[in-house]
Amino acid sequence: MPQLTIEPLGETIEVEEGQTILDAALRAGIWLPHACCHGRCGTCKVDVVEGEIEHGDASSFALMDFERDEGKALACTATLVGDITIEAEIDEDEDARRIAVRDYSGMVTSIADATGDIRVIRLALDGAPLDFQAGQYINLEVPGVTPARAFSLANAPGEAEVELHVRKVPGGKATGWLHDSLTVGDKLAFAGPFGRFYVRKSAAKPMIFLAGGSGLSSPKSMIVDLLGEGSDLPITLIHGVRTARDVYFSDFFRALEAAHPNFRYVPALSQPAEGEAWAGETGFVHEVAERLFEGKFAGHSAYLCGPPPMIEASIRTLMKGRLFEKDIFTEKFLTNSDGEEALARSPLFKRI
Amino acid sequence: MAKKLGLKQKYQMMTRGLGWDTTYQSMDKVYPFDKFEGIKVHDWDAWEDPFRLTMDSYWKLQAEKERKLYAVIDSFAQNNGHLGISDPRYLNAVKLFIQGVSPLEYMAHRHFAHVARNIRGIGPAVAAQMQSLDELRHAQTQIHTISHYNKFFDGIHEWRHMHDRVWYLSVPKSFFDDAVTAGPFEFLTAISFSFEYLLTNLLFVPFMSGAAYNGDLATVTFGFSAQSDESRHMTLGLEVIKFLLEQDEANVPIIQRWLDKWFWRGYRLLTLVAMMMDYLLPKKIMSWQEAWEMYYEEAGGALFQDLARYGIKEPMSAAVARKEKNRLSSEAWAIFYQYTHAAAFHTWDIDEEHKAWLAEKYPETFDKLYRPRLDFWEKEAAAGRRFYNNALPQLCTVCQIPMGFTEPDDPTTICFRESEYKGEHYHFCSDGCKGIFDNEPEKYVQSWLPVHQIFQGNCGGASVEDVLKWYRMNLGADNLDFSGSPEDKFWSEWHRTASRAEAAE
Repeated sequence: MPQLTIEPLGETIEVEEGQTILDAALRAGIWLPHACCHGRCGTCKVDVVEGEIEHGDASSFALMDFERDEGKALACTATLVGDITIEAEIDEDEDARRIAVRDYSGMVTSIADATGDIRVIRLALDGAPLDFQAGQYINLEVPGVTPARAFSLANAPGEAEVELHVRKVPGGKATGWLHDSLTVGDKLAFAGPFGRFYVRKSAAKPMIFLAGGSGLSSPKSMIVDLLGEGSDLPITLIHGVRTARDVYFSDFFRALEAAHPNFRYVPALSQPAEGEAWAGETGFVHEVAERLFEGKFAGHSAYLCGPPPMIEASIRTLMKGRLFEKDIFTEKFLTNSDGEEALARSPLFKRI
Repeated sequence: MAKKLGLKQKYQMMTRGLGWDTTYQSMDKVYPFDKFEGIKVHDWDAWEDPFRLTMDSYWKLQAEKERKLYAVIDSFAQNNGHLGISDPRYLNAVKLFIQGVSPLEYMAHRHFAHVARNIRGIGPAVAAQMQSLDELRHAQTQIHTISHYNKFFDGIHEWRHMHDRVWYLSVPKSFFDDAVTAGPFEFLTAISFSFEYLLTNLLFVPFMSGAAYNGDLATVTFGFSAQSDESRHMTLGLEVIKFLLEQDEANVPIIQRWLDKWFWRGYRLLTLVAMMMDYLLPKKIMSWQEAWEMYYEEAGGALFQDLARYGIKEPMSAAVARKEKNRLSSEAWAIFYQYTHAAAFHTWDIDEEHKAWLAEKYPETFDKLYRPRLDFWEKEAAAGRRFYNNALPQLCTVCQIPMGFTEPDDPTTICFRESEYKGEHYHFCSDGCKGIFDNEPEKYVQSWLPVHQIFQGNCGGASVEDVLKWYRMNLGADNLDFSGSPEDKFWSEWHRTASRAEAAE
């Protein structure tokens, strides 16, 4: 499959035969400016810096001849002829670091059951340590399963071992293998780091982390990184799970809370089991957030990590509390059955 | 070395520097219009430029577009392009466009200039100013393109004069007058967002595809040329709405009321497009219902799902539009068929092939509700009694369309709504229009309703003929049925000559 590199992000994605630049980018979660989606308006005009494209059905007014000569293209109609690099009008982000994606391998040093269906796997890398921004993910190769599967890094940058939290997806081949067949001493290979989910440290605002289930991994990495750097901004982590048995790493976060007065840890149960002893918060993550912050979120940065329904409900609650797109960052956990709905969206929002 | 500026910062440096806070006079005196609507803006710098086009590249791009367009228009004229269209009846869509739409482009030019002057945020002011120039270009290219048809066909010679007077043209005129007499933010919500973003595809795509399907290359070309500017207009609409919704919670209910109002105003205006698609175009593109489903229900549905995050709901009247989609064009055609003697375009009896198409596109309604009426009119015409309605219709006070629409849940009963204000009765075609009136009665009691004006003696005289002369219509040429019109004769004459010439070769 030909590859598309998008500047100024420096992200590279794979593009299918006949797929337009816009379609490929949106499906990969990279927002490009667009409006009409059929080559008439010109909103999605990009510079092709390297490589060949076919213009497709671009209107000769939306993309004039002299612009074609200058190497411009409409992302909504252009298709790739081999690998290309484009430059699009996307805002550069001063908190983004450019870290080259590389292949890594390592040995499993420990496997621990965190809950009934989440496992914590640790790897010691063979070569140089992995450089990444807290919140990013890797693509892990699982024997007999293609393509590689994405897992967020739960360790903080600079820690010796790579830590992954793997939830067993019912019927899932990759997570099934990681739960049932993987043993200590096995070798695993992966590529990384990927993703644009990282802390916007330059904003210097109080932070709210909303995590659902195994979506705790990125926030864990981000919070440990922040506190390790000595951040004294108020940080709240709300971790939503179903029952008390699904809560994990609570001792770890309690200890962090004791050591850092600016950090608050709030586990919350959405469906406490009958007879379960639980003195903490109950309800969905967004409901708990609304209660804790009295429905007012303006002035914060929010980081959301978990399944799509949790993300959507949380975005609505945050926006109702006057926190908007520029301060909301998300990492959606998609399984193979999700994903198509991404395109049934309007161009109103860029990232969320 | 200093870091190279990104596109965004560069554009901000270039535009933001154009604004300043006044010192001799207070800002509120210099900008008297941007607060009275109740919209609260706390931070103009939060405005994200929806596009970053410099004047330099603007001129370059637009000049190139002009060169291209005028080359097409010239060759169209030199090659007698008007003879290559599918059927002269197609041109009635073009007449409706120049009479009803092009004057709105000019009004948009004027009012975006006004908004650019009267909004104190420099970001939106620059965007509005550029759109003002676009709109002037659109009006001008449309006039130039269509003027070729004016040499050979009727109803195109006095469009500007007619726009301010003729009964059915008061529909688009009053729509835009309503927008320009609102405050700057309501205008932007009405035109940039509700119209340019939500509904513009339903105006431009049908007209331009209609032109393409019917051999009108000149119109297709100005359409593409205008559509390439729409990117800026649509993104401006989106940014305006986002910006206002995020600036203050108190803006949300105001925006909701404007969206409810302008969705319905825009939709009622598109009635003319529905009729154009299903009845005026000899070669059809798709039905109105199909266009509504594709461009509004799907695209608009996704948009309102996203807007729900701000607490914005889809306008209530969208449900009514959904119910009307399989009858709107037939109801509109019935109005114009009856009043063609007072219109500057033609209507005609619908042939069997066309009826079969309508029956296929509208299986639930056409054969049952509309075919019998068309059959009856056809019979009457064949017997020398072509039906013209000589009674003046009652008009809706808000949309100004004759009261020909039916109850949302009963397509056989005309929908009448009424409000009383200061002892006077006002009539409406729908709950949508009545709601708009009830919100701002002081505004709509001033409506210039063509039928009322005729009865009050303000339109040239007491007879239909007096009024049509006051409209500057060429009687017997611009109006009446297509069959037997000068255009009909011209076209058959030309085709006879053409086939004789071919035979002689």
